[in-house]
Amino acid sequence: MSDRPLHEPTFLLLTALAERPQHGYGIIGDVERMSSGRVRLRAGTLYAALDRVVAEGLVEADREEVVDGRLRRYYRLTPRGGDRLAAEVERLQHNAAIAAKRLGRRAIGGLT
Amino acid sequence: MTTASGLEGAYRRLLRWYPPVYRDRHEEEILGVLMAAAEPGRSQPAVRESLDLLWSALKIRIRMTVRGDSQPWAIAFAQIGMLLPVLMVVLKLIGYLERGGWYGFGTPADALIGAYGDPGRYVESFQLNAYWYAVDGNITQALTQGPGPALILAALVLTGWRRTAAVFAVVVPLAYLGVSLSAGYTLLGGANSDVTLYAYGLEALVLLVAPDAPRGWRALRWRPGALLITAAVAFGVAINGGIRPLLHSSWLLYTGTLVAVIVAVLVIMLVSSPANRRVVALLAVPFIPAAVIYLCSLINPPLPGPIGDTLAAAPLLLLILLAAMTLPLLPRRPAGSDAPSRPAAPGNA
Repeated sequence: MSDRPLHEPTFLLLTALAERPQHGYGIIGDVERMSSGRVRLRAGTLYAALDRVVAEGLVEADREEVVDGRLRRYYRLTPRGGDRLAAEVERLQHNAAIAAKRLGRRAIGGLT
Repeated sequence: MTTASGLEGAYRRLLRWYPPVYRDRHEEEILGVLMAAAEPGRSQPAVRESLDLLWSALKIRIRMTVRGDSQPWAIAFAQIGMLLPVLMVVLKLIGYLERGGWYGFGTPADALIGAYGDPGRYVESFQLNAYWYAVDGNITQALTQGPGPALILAALVLTGWRRTAAVFAVVVPLAYLGVSLSAGYTLLGGANSDVTLYAYGLEALVLLVAPDAPRGWRALRWRPGALLITAAVAFGVAINGGIRPLLHSSWLLYTGTLVAVIVAVLVIMLVSSPANRRVVALLAVPFIPAAVIYLCSLINPPLPGPIGDTLAAAPLLLLILLAAMTLPLLPRRPAGSDAPSRPAAPGNA
């Protein structure tokens, strides 16, 4: 499995699917909400990212349904995708903890 | 037509840029997302949305080719990657034979030392790279007109060093651009040099786009290979005016025969298989922009130097940009894996 850090859109895409399967438009809205509007996936970008994570075995199609005459395909995280996301969370937590610790020391050093 | 159907039609036109296989599976799905995300009352896609779709279509096309999902394109890229340097060498050799016919062939020893006739002339006619560089210091001619770089490239590709060959195919034309521009040469109007530059750019791209192609000579499919080499020989002989002894016969009959050979080969290639059609289309890549740029060089009054240089360099830089885009998509291999001993992948040979 790749050890490369995930890019933020990919991280948010996997996070959007971590809890339950979602369709494309649902993922776009969820990513926008999670990032407080900072990351807005466009349809082309989303499907290029989905094509990549599906090819890497991180995500797979879950089911299809037709709503208002439009096809919706739901995607879900695979066990491998879950492991990859968990590893990324751990990496980010580790880095954040180190950064917070050092900033704390800096603040104390600045006061003395 | 209603606003919604107009917008849907416009989105469908944009989605045509995606590969057919991908579109079969995802077109309705993506369309649903696009329509759901569209602002009420919108009748045409936003510019950013359109650019996003076009850019993503390009990325998916490259990725599918790299993964081997598009079999005809994968075969075509493997063929062109192998044949293009060989064709470049063949065309240089045709030029050599034609010049030899013109000046008269000496003994092999004469040819080696360039002593036949006007001293050095025969060597110059052979366009030995060392001559250009050592005698007149013209490194740009050494890079594009001589057989040296093409021979090195062909050797790297035939022995399976694909990534090294790709790096070489990027370095040669960039070195040419760097030397030419720093020396104040104009790039506009040098149609032969332009075709050569774009051929190097195309070679770099196809070598990276088809990383899983069989390596070395194993990638060669003999029938299209033989056809293309036949066409290249006919083209080279026709372009160079014909090998001199043959010119004693009817010029029209002779040239007509060569043109007929080229046309026949292209027709056979076009009708024989989807992969071969793509090979022919890829082969046109260096020639089309070179022809356009040559026509630009005929404009009177001439284009300002920087504009002409930019026009001439743009196709090469675009090919190199596309090659660079494929780098993040390449499968990771252990260090030192760019070795010639990798076995041929089944089904592509």
